[in-house]
Amino acid sequence: MNFRKKNILRNYKVSVLLYKMSFDRPLSPHLSIHKKVLTAVFSIFHRFTGICLSLGAILLSVWIILIALGPDYYSMFQNLSTLIFFKIFLFLWTLTIFYHLYNGIRYLFWSYGKMMELSIVYKSGYVVIILSILSTIFVWISI
Amino acid sequence: MKNYASKWIMQRLTAVILIPLTFWFVYQCVLLSSYDYTQIKAFFYSKINASLFFILIIAMLYHAKLGNETIVEDYVTSHNLKKTTKSIISALTYLSMVLTTISLLYIISS
Repeated sequence: MNFRKKNILRNYKVSVLLYKMSFDRPLSPHLSIHKKVLTAVFSIFHRFTGICLSLGAILLSVWIILIALGPDYYSMFQNLSTLIFFKIFLFLWTLTIFYHLYNGIRYLFWSYGKMMELSIVYKSGYVVIILSILSTIFVWISI
Repeated sequence: MKNYASKWIMQRLTAVILIPLTFWFVYQCVLLSSYDYTQIKAFFYSKINASLFFILIIAMLYHAKLGNETIVEDYVTSHNLKKTTKSIISALTYLSMVLTTISLLYIISS
C-alpha cells in the first residue's frame, strides 16, 4: 500500500471515530460539580420553569378542548377547581409565569448585548425575583 | 447551522410576541375566574379575544417546543434517546396545536 492510500485510510478511520464520538458526547453543564453562582441558578430555574410552563401550555389546550366539548365535560374542570390543592397549583403557576416572563425579558436584553455588566446582571436578577413575587401577590389580591 | 440560527431567532420572536399576550391573558384569567360556563364561552365569541388567544397558544406551544429541544440538545447524551425525546416533544406540540385550533373553531361556530 502506498503512502497516499494509507493516508486516505487513516483519514477515513479518524472520521469514523469522530462520528461515533458524536453519539455520546459529554453532558454540557455539569450541574452537580460547579459552584452555584447566582446567574447559573437563574438559568437553571429559567429552564426548569420553562419545562413546567410547557406542561401548563398543554393543560391550557386541554382547558379549551373541555370548553369545546360542552358543559358536561367542563364541569369536571369546575369540580377540580374548588379544591385547595388546585388553588395552590394555580398560585405556583402564576409565580412560574411571572418569573419566566421577567427573566425572559432580561435574557432578551442580553441577546442584544445590553445590561451585561456584572453589577447590573446581579441587580436585574434581584429585580426579577421582587417583580415576580409582587406581580403574583397583585394578581391573587385582584381575584 | 442555518437551521439553528433560525431557531434562535424564532425563540426570541415568539418570546417578544408572548410578553404582551401573557399580561393580557393573566388579566383575562382574573376576570374569567368568576365566570360560569356560558360566560366563558361568550368570552371566545369576541373575535379579538379568540384571535389573541389563538396567537397566544400557538406562539406559546412553539416557544415551548424550541425551548425543550434546546434543553434536550444540552443534557441528553444518547443519540437515540435524544431522537425519541424530540419526536415526543414535536408530537405533543403539534397535537396540542391542532386540537386547540379545532376546539376554538368549534366554539366560535357554535
